[in-house]
Amino acid sequence: MTHRPFSLRVLDAIEAVRVRLWPEAFRPLTPLAFLLPALILTGLLAAGLVPLLDASFRPLDPATFRLAESYAAKNYITLLTRPVYGWIALRTFAGAVIVTVVTLILAFPYAWTMVRTRSARLRRCLLSALFLPFFIGQVVRAYGWLIVLGKQGLLNAVLASLGLPPLSILYTYGGVLLGLVQYMLPFAVLMLAPALTAIPKEIELASASLGATPAATFRHVVLPLARPGLVAAAVVVFTLTLTDFAMPEIMGGGSNKFVASAVYDAFFQLADPGLGGALAIALTLVGSLVVGTALAAFGLGTLGYVQERKEAS
Amino acid sequence: MKRGLLPLLLGLVTILDVVFLALPTLVVLAASFTAGNIVTFPPQGWSLRWYADLVQKPEFLEALGRSLEVGVVCTALAIPAGTLAALALARFRLRGAAFLQIYLLLPFTIPLVVSGVGLMLVFGRLGWLGSIWPVGVACCVVNLPFMIWAVAAAVNHLDPDLENAAWNCGAPPAHAFFTVTLPAVMPGIVTGALVMFILAVNEFLVSLMLVDARTVTLPVLVYNAIRSIITPDLAAVSVVYVVLALAAIAALDRLVGLEIFLKSKQS
Repeated sequence: MTHRPFSLRVLDAIEAVRVRLWPEAFRPLTPLAFLLPALILTGLLAAGLVPLLDASFRPLDPATFRLAESYAAKNYITLLTRPVYGWIALRTFAGAVIVTVVTLILAFPYAWTMVRTRSARLRRCLLSALFLPFFIGQVVRAYGWLIVLGKQGLLNAVLASLGLPPLSILYTYGGVLLGLVQYMLPFAVLMLAPALTAIPKEIELASASLGATPAATFRHVVLPLARPGLVAAAVVVFTLTLTDFAMPEIMGGGSNKFVASAVYDAFFQLADPGLGGALAIALTLVGSLVVGTALAAFGLGTLGYVQERKEAS
Repeated sequence: MKRGLLPLLLGLVTILDVVFLALPTLVVLAASFTAGNIVTFPPQGWSLRWYADLVQKPEFLEALGRSLEVGVVCTALAIPAGTLAALALARFRLRGAAFLQIYLLLPFTIPLVVSGVGLMLVFGRLGWLGSIWPVGVACCVVNLPFMIWAVAAAVNHLDPDLENAAWNCGAPPAHAFFTVTLPAVMPGIVTGALVMFILAVNEFLVSLMLVDARTVTLPVLVYNAIRSIITPDLAAVSVVYVVLALAAIAALDRLVGLEIFLKSKQS
């Protein structure tokens, strides 16, 4: 018998264990076994929704500070009738729309330059500039903005040196949106870039050689082909903004809260898990509805885990 | 003349984006080296006193240690769970594949604040609250799509004939898996693992609900601190994150190349 290298003997041992633990008869179950850890982990999340849904239908008894034994829709009625929640919902929704539009407008040129530049160095620099904030986290970035926009911050120091009056952006709605756009920009670019890579340069050249102006090529060729990436980026930015907590809390100074803060406050300040549950379920439903509608209309785009296989013609 | 206008505009917006992305980071770096007691611009002289201050405050170092632990637990779970799930989704013809994809996107569709409260309730019932490792589990759960995306992208680019060839040549399944499949998707695993680790070390909102005073993680500590008074020692703490982020970017570039994120999904 020829000598078998050590690495192969290790693999033989693994194979022997596999045969012992996972005989041929189990073969149809292999995909399920592969998926099981991820299904269980995600299941923890799904399990968390159950007590929230349950609590959302139990109003808080003001006398005992406990949730009622019987079910009622009171919490949801409170959400719909108390004006403060209407305002928070409107502020959040409008913010998500504005942030999505601004972020996509800022992200497209970045992704385009990054994908199309002929300089490998510029491409790597742009990628690094993208990952640095992405990897730094929201709290630290918000802290950075506090220093930039604060009363004695960088912005006002620059304005003062130019002889201009100070600006107070911090703790305003605009400040929250500014922080959110900066937070979302890397997500949007990373969702867009693969879709832009898929657009062959030759198609633009063909369009140009047929006499289209750059603007016409962009409008009628590039934009439609970039749609999977644009849809994925818009969906990601919109839902992340709709459900964001840290930026409105830190940059809004307590008076520009989004829905996520209302959920948190209902649980940890009002100590009303019923109302908090109703807010949580409502936010989840609205978010899922937006994602579901977008995905049903445009497909999973670059959000899907698996490429959609196209039949060869 | 008109030909040049569009590229110029794209270039200008890109430059603006770079400044916009870098500004908070650069400002934090500058603020951490100030000699003054408060954060002002221009800084009142330069010093390393806030770093010295930091080393003497055990609560920051302990919180950093806990955050790193969270990152390790999260990554250790995410690597097998995400890799196997991505392989199953991309390789096997599954019944209900569309449903499975949507189910596995749940961490993304359920708002983070809802995930946080929900996991707090579930972990409470399981008796898991009060330790660090469940925070790692939670970070893995809420960020798992990133791991699956990264590995699935690598699997989508892998030619299935490579595995077929291995089987044809008589390689038993375990041999084919460890010598052909796994090395081929390794860039995806490395990318996903690094991203999961960094996201877990930075994770804030879910941790906020799962930790108490004894198990507070670094982002929660920073959050609590900036809500009271903004002192330069926080800038020094933040620089820890800048250094971690730079290390992760360097590792990504070294191990797989940053260009992996530009790959098109249609191979």
